[in-house]
Amino acid sequence: MSASATHISKPTTDVVTNDLLGCWVGMFVPGKKVAEIVTGESYAWDFENKINISIDKIDGGNVTGHSVVAGNYRPFSGIITKEKTIYKFVVKEPGDDKYDGVFQFYIDEADRKLTGTWKANNKIRIPVRRYTLEKKIFIYNAAIRLDHNDRFVDWIKKRKTAPGERGYGDYDISYFTTTGEVYKYNASAQQLTTDQVANLKKADLFVLRNSIYARHGYSFKNQQLRAYFDRQEWYIPISTDIRKDLTAIEKKNIELLMRYENNAKEYYDAFGRG
Amino acid sequence: MGITKNLYLNKAGYLVWYAALLWFSYLMLLITLQYVPMRTDVAFLRIKEDVVGMLHYRIAFFAHVYTGMFVLLAGMLQFPTYIRCNFPTFHRWCGRVYAYLIIIVTGPAGLIMGIYGNGGWVSRSAFCILAVLWVIFTYKGVTAAINRNITVHRIWMYRSYALTLSAISLRLWKWIIVLLFQPRPMDVYHIVSWLGWVGNLLIVELYIYYNINKRKASINAMSLTKV
Repeated sequence: MSASATHISKPTTDVVTNDLLGCWVGMFVPGKKVAEIVTGESYAWDFENKINISIDKIDGGNVTGHSVVAGNYRPFSGIITKEKTIYKFVVKEPGDDKYDGVFQFYIDEADRKLTGTWKANNKIRIPVRRYTLEKKIFIYNAAIRLDHNDRFVDWIKKRKTAPGERGYGDYDISYFTTTGEVYKYNASAQQLTTDQVANLKKADLFVLRNSIYARHGYSFKNQQLRAYFDRQEWYIPISTDIRKDLTAIEKKNIELLMRYENNAKEYYDAFGRG
Repeated sequence: MGITKNLYLNKAGYLVWYAALLWFSYLMLLITLQYVPMRTDVAFLRIKEDVVGMLHYRIAFFAHVYTGMFVLLAGMLQFPTYIRCNFPTFHRWCGRVYAYLIIIVTGPAGLIMGIYGNGGWVSRSAFCILAVLWVIFTYKGVTAAINRNITVHRIWMYRSYALTLSAISLRLWKWIIVLLFQPRPMDVYHIVSWLGWVGNLLIVELYIYYNINKRKASINAMSLTKV
């Protein structure tokens, strides 16, 4: 960061800066490739997380905002400059968190994309990340359904693996993966009944419950859930605490799903009844 | 030589059988202890929220759970020949505990639980039929004992205990099926609600046919030739 960056070459107009304000969403990609996690499904997780860089206020050459990624909500502040059609930003996180750092990015009026890098203040596993983000508007919508892409898989809890075909790594035959049942229900839009959840497997119950949080833009700390919901087109990480936003239906469904999840966790594969 | 070898094999077989019974009874005890002290927010009752509010269901559930263990153990003590021959009074008292608990408490309680069972009519009918047969078989065994008809007593009590053991076999089948196929939970439940006791009953009918009826027939045949 150079000292001359405080200088603004052109005064920013309200119209343009209002256009810059809001959520910029996309993948937060490790600067150097990290050994990816083989999930046993058709994808591997390479430590990319969906990030939401929210530019909240532009006041002359000063900018404040926050980022939401991987269960972390961090404010930032810094400066904005303009060169021709390009707005350049250098913003810093407070620095009191192990994972704080500095964002440098630019938005080109021409292509309306936010592109840049992030460097960590401390020595951490992935010290540099890059990103190209698009402007998104977050609106809570109870009717959102899960995209029919890959299944959810809990690659940490997986119990059984079978050798994969022709060196594709171990294939996970764990039952902690979702089935087609998970697409049948929407736990935000409909009150689920005992009969409906009684025949669902652990992972389906788990993902149904967590999709409630995802609709509200909850940013997941759990790697597997993050990898799953980050791949959902509609998903935007907005907040790390969405409890106050839950609707009455959702609260009831969470309670119901939790009971069956706990039951499945304890008894599904144990000597016992349930 | 051959006969003693067979005897030892038989003895080993019995030992394995009793060891297994004791082990699974221990597992059942662990399941029972989840409900001590009396709580309605644990284990199986967590997914029975819709019925656990009803007093008669709660009475039936805890009566069934708390007496089931004694039925299982009292029944187990009835089989060794040693106990039957040397301590006939003990045999009778254990028999009374076993039979009256089933006929008055555990069986009827099981029927009430069956009526409100999970899994719709498929498993409900299975559990209700199981409870009714359990009481009938046990009652038949008792009347035969009172009438001193020991062969008939044995047959009905074998059947009764086969149904008692469904507490174990149902859970064992569930464990095996989940291990092998990982089906959806209510599908497993439907299967084991029937398999859990019908399987036992089939085995015990085969046992009765080959070990009691056939032997009786051969004894009859022998006595006929003598005459």
